[in-house]
Formats: sequence, structure tokens, C-alpha cells
Amino acid sequence: MRFMVMIKSDERTEDGVMPTEEELNAMGRYNEELVKAGVLLAGEGLHPSSKGARVKFTDGKPTVIDGPFAEAKELIAGFWLIDVKSKEEAVEWMKRIPCTDGAEVNVEIRQVFEADDFGEAYTPEQRERDEQLRLAAKKD
Amino acid sequence: MRFMVIRMADEETEAGVLPSTELIEAMGRYNEELVKAGVMVAGEGLLPSSRGALLHFDGAGKTTVTDGPFAEAKELVAGFSLLEADSLEDVIEIVRRWPVEDGHGNAEIEIRQVHDAEAFGDALTDENRPYTMGIKYD
Repeated sequence: MRFMVMIKSDERTEDGVMPTEEELNAMGRYNEELVKAGVLLAGEGLHPSSKGARVKFTDGKPTVIDGPFAEAKELIAGFWLIDVKSKEEAVEWMKRIPCTDGAEVNVEIRQVFEADDFGEAYTPEQRERDEQLRLAAKKD
Repeated sequence: MRFMVIRMADEETEAGVLPSTELIEAMGRYNEELVKAGVMVAGEGLLPSSRGALLHFDGAGKTTVTDGPFAEAKELVAGFSLLEADSLEDVIEIVRRWPVEDGHGNAEIEIRQVHDAEAFGDALTDENRPYTMGIKYD
């Protein structure tokens, strides 16, 4: 089963403070372990929310709100997508995230939908179309 | 430039209400347009936070694990797409066309720019690059 692991923002990430070489080295070594264990599928870091936007729909009408957004700790600063056997295994891997600078870090682990999770509303025809789309999207 | 388009959670996604066939098909058509335009890199949906966990690292070596669900549905993530586009403005235009079937016309979508190698400057070295920049859905 796949999990999305989100590292939450804090004042530093929202201020655009980038990791040091030492922090990148530690994260690289951790990611390398995940890759070698066949656990890591993808990973990305995000710019501060000041470079982003929100589109809020109200009864079908979109309103655009420019970043930054309040409440840094509710935002996401980056994520890993991992493939493991259970939530417990995901937790065990993620307990080892390198936190090298003595700051508090919050990490959220969430299970990713697989096709079978959608039940009968997900018709075989749509499932096939989506599978083709997935393959097409990955080809670049 | 790459962008992460985040569908924020709401009471229905947090309650585990599954999308209808109508919504699944509408999202399928929307995603198909994005794939054909060469914009779509990847996309996933998330199960409610009740199936998840939070880890808190206190900065002094202590880690606390809390099982979901977590409060404040509208600050949580229900799904995301990764898009390749020329600008934030282009992504905003794409997101304006989000299927109105989603969230009964009341969905909230957050758009965030993804770090590329340039963002890291000199801290990115030949040594740490392979496992910090090279893990992208392959």
C-alpha cells in the first residue's frame, strides 16, 4: 500500500530558508536508504506559500487568493510517496527522518487511494481509461 | 516549472464519502485534457486522515506518534496533482476549469511551486543530488 508523507511547514520554510549542504546530505542519505529498500516512489519539496495561490469554488464560481497563507504549521513544505506493507511500517521508516537542526518537525502520514478503494462507482471502463492516462502522463 | 495542485479536504472526504461515478468521470475528462496538453505529471487521492498518523519530532530526540483523524478538515489534503507549466498564472487558469462536480461546486484548491535544482543553490552537490533531486515517479 502507498502512503503520502507530508512534512509540515514552519516559519523557516515559509520564510524561504533553504536547507544547508549538511541537511541536504543527511536527507540524501536517508532517501538513498528508502530507495535501496524499494520504499521510495517519489519526493518533492515546495517553495513557500508566498509563491502559490488558492482557488476557492463557491457554488461553482472560482475566486483566486494569492499566497502567502496563514498558519504555517497547517501547510506542506514537501512530501515523500512511499510503498510499504502497513501504516506501522510507514511510521517506522518515517521516525528516522533526519532532523538535524534541533527544530521541531511535524510529519503527516496518509494512505493513498488505490483503484479498488473506490468501490462500484469506479466502472471498469473508467478504470481502464485512467490507467491509460497514468501511463501517458508518466511518459515524458 | 512544476506545481503541486492540492485538493483540500472537506467534511465529506474526511468522512470517507467516495466519489460518485459522475464525479470520477468528470475528473477523468479533466485529467485527460491535462495529459493531452502535456501538463500532467502525476496525481493521487488520499484516504481520510482517520487512516493516517502524525509524527512530532520535538527537536531534542523525542518522537511522538498520534493516530488520525486530525482536526480541521479544511486544512488537510484530500488529493494532489503534479503539473508542469510555464507559470503560476497558467496553473491558475487550469485550476479555474476544475470540475464543478467536485465538492458540489465548493472545492478549495491550493497551488504550490515545486523546488527545482536551482532553488537549492550551492548546497546541492554532486554527492547529495542523486537522492534529493532524482526521485520523480520513475
